Amino acid sequence: MKTDHDIKLGVSLYSYQDNYYFHRFDTEGCIAAAADAGAEGFEIFSDAMIPEWPYVTDRWIDTFNGWKYRYNIESVCLDHFSDRAMWHDRQLTDDELYERGVLYIKTAARLGCKAIRVLHDNHMGARVSNKFPPYRLTDAKMCGRLLPAAAEHNILLALECHAPGSVADPCQQEYLEIADKMGLGEFIGLQADFSSYEYRLSMADIQGQVRNEGCTEEVLLALREAQTKAYKEERALDLEEVMPELEKIGLSEADRKFLSFHGRRSGPYDAKDTSHSYETLKQFASSIKYVHGKFYYIDEDGEVDNMDYHKILGALKEGGYKGYICSEFEGNRRMNDAGWCNEIEYVRKHHILMRKCLGYPEPVFD
Amino acid sequence: MGETKKVFENSTHRTSTNSMYEPYMLTESGCRSIWQAGHRTGYCVNLTINYYRGLPLSCVDEISLWVDGEPVDPETMYVWCKDREYHYPDILKDTMATDIYWGFGDYLKVTIMKKGGIDQGIHHVKLRLCTRRSYTPTMVSEWEKDIMFA
Repeated sequence: MKTDHDIKLGVSLYSYQDNYYFHRFDTEGCIAAAADAGAEGFEIFSDAMIPEWPYVTDRWIDTFNGWKYRYNIESVCLDHFSDRAMWHDRQLTDDELYERGVLYIKTAARLGCKAIRVLHDNHMGARVSNKFPPYRLTDAKMCGRLLPAAAEHNILLALECHAPGSVADPCQQEYLEIADKMGLGEFIGLQADFSSYEYRLSMADIQGQVRNEGCTEEVLLALREAQTKAYKEERALDLEEVMPELEKIGLSEADRKFLSFHGRRSGPYDAKDTSHSYETLKQFASSIKYVHGKFYYIDEDGEVDNMDYHKILGALKEGGYKGYICSEFEGNRRMNDAGWCNEIEYVRKHHILMRKCLGYPEPVFD
Repeated sequence: MGETKKVFENSTHRTSTNSMYEPYMLTESGCRSIWQAGHRTGYCVNLTINYYRGLPLSCVDEISLWVDGEPVDPETMYVWCKDREYHYPDILKDTMATDIYWGFGDYLKVTIMKKGGIDQGIHHVKLRLCTRRSYTPTMVSEWEKDIMFA
């Protein structure tokens, strides 16, 4: 469905991964599901939904283009991966990783995509990438090497900025500065991911942690309630202020482990760290090139249950964002151990919510 | 196999998000004896990947199987991927090609060569599947279940 909106809505086919994995839908079926949700475009993993990868034939591309025409939908982005640990005892050299990067760029161009989502070193910000020092992904220098190929094929290198980081992380600037010095700044840009704007635990996480990790439901629900209260008061929750209450309920080892990592995220109203605020997102909006509409669960009111989509999309719109927001449903991996997770329904509801936030009409299919 | 060094010290790390397909990687499809000229020469199981995308076969760090409590000798194992068969120890070597992908959701048939095959009926199978990914420690997934062999 084509529109003339500045902010266009799409679906990352990653959202339908269970449908593909369990052979309910093939690639065409996933594209059709995205179109039927009202999407104008889609993102695809060559590593998952292009069976011929890494050698994609023209015949497959022709079929792919036929699907785009049939379902009136465009290909927006291809996901790049940095699989350096290719063997048991040896990793790819920089030259070998570069070659693979070029393969993703060329494949994206052949698929008619405008961008590749680069799996770059700082995709989770500086804090997390420092936590896993052996994992050298595509760094700023490598992006600089890839830029001429990106320019030749008219492909944007989208730097996904994922929680616990955000688009405002200073570590992202190095990538942009290298491109500017080369005069190729238009071929690289920041990609926001809504995981940066979570303000409380999702029920998908709570149920999954209780089922699989042995966390105490009452503890996690109490934390979520405290997070909700703090958010309504437009302030960050200090974990220490709620710890006495949680200790009173009784903390298991699993609870403590969970809280040590997930209990420390402060959300959009942290006065000490404004990098995850709506105001900061608004300031960055006009320079952002692509967006992942991350979500895990949609509640009975049709809202994403741990992010304020009205405020997030409002910040992007007011800040002048122009480009795609592609749904990225990740509730499947949190919920599929408990039975079939209806990804298609979640994405459908997600698009209804995003259209509502942006004031778009419901699509009409004749 | 046990002599090869680990690339990462923390390769047994495991988190909840690592286990997204763990309960489903050991399938109950197509498990049966393998026959040649009227004789049972082995048996097979079909696995699906424990990750959210396909990976090169060279990124498989370990496939270990136990059948009815007995460990399967890795030297007797063969994997069938993209219409070709590989001796399992070969896919662990640094000479393994990097462009043969175990597709997302695709069956990886693992054949165990064993004279006499496996008796028709239900057997208890345990699997450990380890895969190396881009940005997180090697994913170690384990599952066990009763499977009907034809």
